[in-house]
Amino acid sequence: MSDLSTTTKSVPQSAREPGEPKARMMNDKKKDLIQKFAALASLLLLVAVFAMTSDAFLTVNNGMTIALQVTSIAYLGIGATCVIITGGIDLSVGSVLALAGVVAALAVKAGVPVPLGMGLGVLVGAFCGLLNGLCVTRLKLPPFIATLGMMLVARGIALQITGARAVSGLGESFGELGNGALFRIVTIGDDGFPNVVFPGIPYPVILMVVAAIGVAVMLSRTTLGRHIYAVGSNAEAARLSGVNVARVTLITYILSGSLAGLTGCVLMSRLVTAQPNEGVMYELDAIASAVIGGTSLIGGVGTISGTAIGAFVIGILRNGLNMNGVSAFTQQIIIGLVILLTVWIDQMRNRR
Amino acid sequence: MPPLTAERASSQHHATEPGAEVLRLTNVTKSFPGVRALDEVCFDLRRGEVHAVCGENGAGKSTLMKIISGQYQPDGGAIRYKGADTRFANSLEAERAGIAIIHQELNLIPHLSVAENIYLAREPKRGWFVDRAALRRNAQACLDRLGVDIRPDASVKSLSVAQCQMVEIAKALSLNAEILIMDEPTSSLTESETALLFQVIHELKREGVGIVYISHRLDEMAAIVDRVTVLRDGRYVSTHDFAATTVDEIVARMVGRSLEEKFPERTSTPTADVLLSASGLTRKGVFHDVGFELRRGEILGFAGLMGAGRTEVARAIFGADPLDGGTIRLGERTITVRSPRDAIDHGIAYLSEDRKSHGLAVKMSVVQNLTLASMDSVSNRFGFIDFAAEAKAAKTYIDLLSIRTPSPHQIAKLLSGGNQQKIVIGKWLFRQSRILFFDEPTRGIDVGAKFAIYQLLDRLAAQGIGVVLISSELPEILGLTDRVAVFHEGRITAVLNTRDTSQEDIMHYASGHSRPHASGAATP
Repeated sequence: MSDLSTTTKSVPQSAREPGEPKARMMNDKKKDLIQKFAALASLLLLVAVFAMTSDAFLTVNNGMTIALQVTSIAYLGIGATCVIITGGIDLSVGSVLALAGVVAALAVKAGVPVPLGMGLGVLVGAFCGLLNGLCVTRLKLPPFIATLGMMLVARGIALQITGARAVSGLGESFGELGNGALFRIVTIGDDGFPNVVFPGIPYPVILMVVAAIGVAVMLSRTTLGRHIYAVGSNAEAARLSGVNVARVTLITYILSGSLAGLTGCVLMSRLVTAQPNEGVMYELDAIASAVIGGTSLIGGVGTISGTAIGAFVIGILRNGLNMNGVSAFTQQIIIGLVILLTVWIDQMRNRR
Repeated sequence: MPPLTAERASSQHHATEPGAEVLRLTNVTKSFPGVRALDEVCFDLRRGEVHAVCGENGAGKSTLMKIISGQYQPDGGAIRYKGADTRFANSLEAERAGIAIIHQELNLIPHLSVAENIYLAREPKRGWFVDRAALRRNAQACLDRLGVDIRPDASVKSLSVAQCQMVEIAKALSLNAEILIMDEPTSSLTESETALLFQVIHELKREGVGIVYISHRLDEMAAIVDRVTVLRDGRYVSTHDFAATTVDEIVARMVGRSLEEKFPERTSTPTADVLLSASGLTRKGVFHDVGFELRRGEILGFAGLMGAGRTEVARAIFGADPLDGGTIRLGERTITVRSPRDAIDHGIAYLSEDRKSHGLAVKMSVVQNLTLASMDSVSNRFGFIDFAAEAKAAKTYIDLLSIRTPSPHQIAKLLSGGNQQKIVIGKWLFRQSRILFFDEPTRGIDVGAKFAIYQLLDRLAAQGIGVVLISSELPEILGLTDRVAVFHEGRITAVLNTRDTSQEDIMHYASGHSRPHASGAATP
């Protein structure tokens, strides 16, 4: 804690000011802690409850399943967090991931090697993000409208180029990214059947960790990250401080689009089929994970760690409720209530 | 609407003649976690008087206002309103009882008309529908009572700040306010608008409304204020008849010491080398053929009425708004400025008059704001921030400018106006800017902090920085600058040597008159 010494030193100074700021700061710190812990604590509570209600919940296998299920919300949530911190929103990611996945699949089907095809998918996502960003920064469209347009356009193109049919027969190598795992240990038993000792760490999970750490470092430790927060906190002040607001905004949409492209490739790879209908409403999961994690929709506030917690809250709720035989409809109700509750807590925190 | 005075008289028996006491607060105390915001404060208000509350930022003025208007409930002490002990549960209750507050930030809805705003949520109805004729008639009556010339159908977004204030006052009247609290009502008004406001206040006094008046502008108070109460550090200091005291005495009570002078002695004189010269600057419909020179170590004033183009010229030179023509030279070199980034790279900085919306990233910390314009100097070439270097830089400027903050990581919006202003100044000093445009740097800042900022301007000039001071307060211009460029309707009408000029001269040029009489006009 390098700032401790300066904090104590400046106390006599601040005491001269009849203390509103000081008192408020104490409250803020407390509120921030409560918020962080509230999210983390509710996550742990969920784990504890589900561990008690279902034997199969707290197992390595199920842990990996959850991690795998969470990946797509997490990729999208990471992108959404950056966009939302700047004060924007990206509603197009669900459609963009479908378009990206379908393009990757069609390319592979046309004979393009799998890694290149998937790279093309990510590029398609990035390009959609670029268009979103240009609509916001050059045409000055409200982000909600710009990305709503892209949501319809991208979905439409995905349906158009596939004739609304799934693209299948992609070959085993197309499924590698989504289904493969690192450190998978399999022994062949006496009966000749394979015996899974350790299921391994699925590639999508590794990608999720890499993306989360990469973007978290970018946000907290680089100039670009600082500028992203500055734009969301006060775009005009940022511009008058020499921040290239348009460029920073554009980058967040490109990042969000690219991560949507990646999500598309991973999802389609897991199914080894490209579905133009994949990813409907995923943008809302992404936004929900960011918001549960404390990202403010007004902009200027948000962290990747929070979003990761948010994504796992949603993922674990789904998984745990499934294991307890709760119907999909009830699940929706519960997740909706959780979102309302966490945003309400967030509002309480910001009411100062 | 029935005549409300009759209703009041019949429902309540209390003295309504002017001069009768309407409100008395006795030993009111209010604490927040860790701080006593008000400590046994006393205050009373009579009908038909303007009672000013003065104090530095943090003295407890706003807490007191919030207690009177029902937003806060006191921890101790008594409130007597119209002769009865009173405790308002919330501001709505206080409003219903006849206590209205007009905030510094006005609370009107821009897209609605004046009449709709005045009767918002209380629209006269005919059946299920709004009775538009009655709405307009009632609103007109309210506005007429104030003697202001605003059409009830006008859309609020087409009104000036002063007119919006009149609408708020009309709204308060329509609520039968017996006490009106005005928080810094003149802070964004021009002199003529202020005069109009004061006329309205006189009208309100005659009607017997008691007015609680908060302002940093002590000089203006003589025109309207009857009594003044001074608070310091949450404590009651004194109450005086305004006529029996002086501004200097009030200031001395506010700060708890006497301020010898309002402005520091200038410690340096400008050199002859020209840092920045502008000629023929034009932005269509905003300013025209503006030219001036700024010398090393000089404080150049931009005087003029609001809307004369001073801020606009500064913003255009800074690249915040586009220029249609003209040249800007740094020394001998002509430069082009397309964005704030370009200007910043040339060592030019602009400190906006509107700190909260243009100067500070309010949700970010003190450190982050200080380094925001200079991220390249606290990060490596890959863009990774060197947090140690950043903390060191922040500490330097927090100490240098004596920014009062509990921690460098405090969120900027929680600091006082003066300290926020210092953060913005620190941001540009850290950037090593050589030319600083200060746009109304002391607006809404308390007396002590103002003096610190004046000293700082002098120190900057002494270091060879060129300072442009845009100010609507002529004493400030006269007290600090070396020369003053006077703006009128988008043109510079005169550049004067401050030493040889007077407030009257400047006002003459600012209102478009040519040379009033022999005065020291310098070569433009």
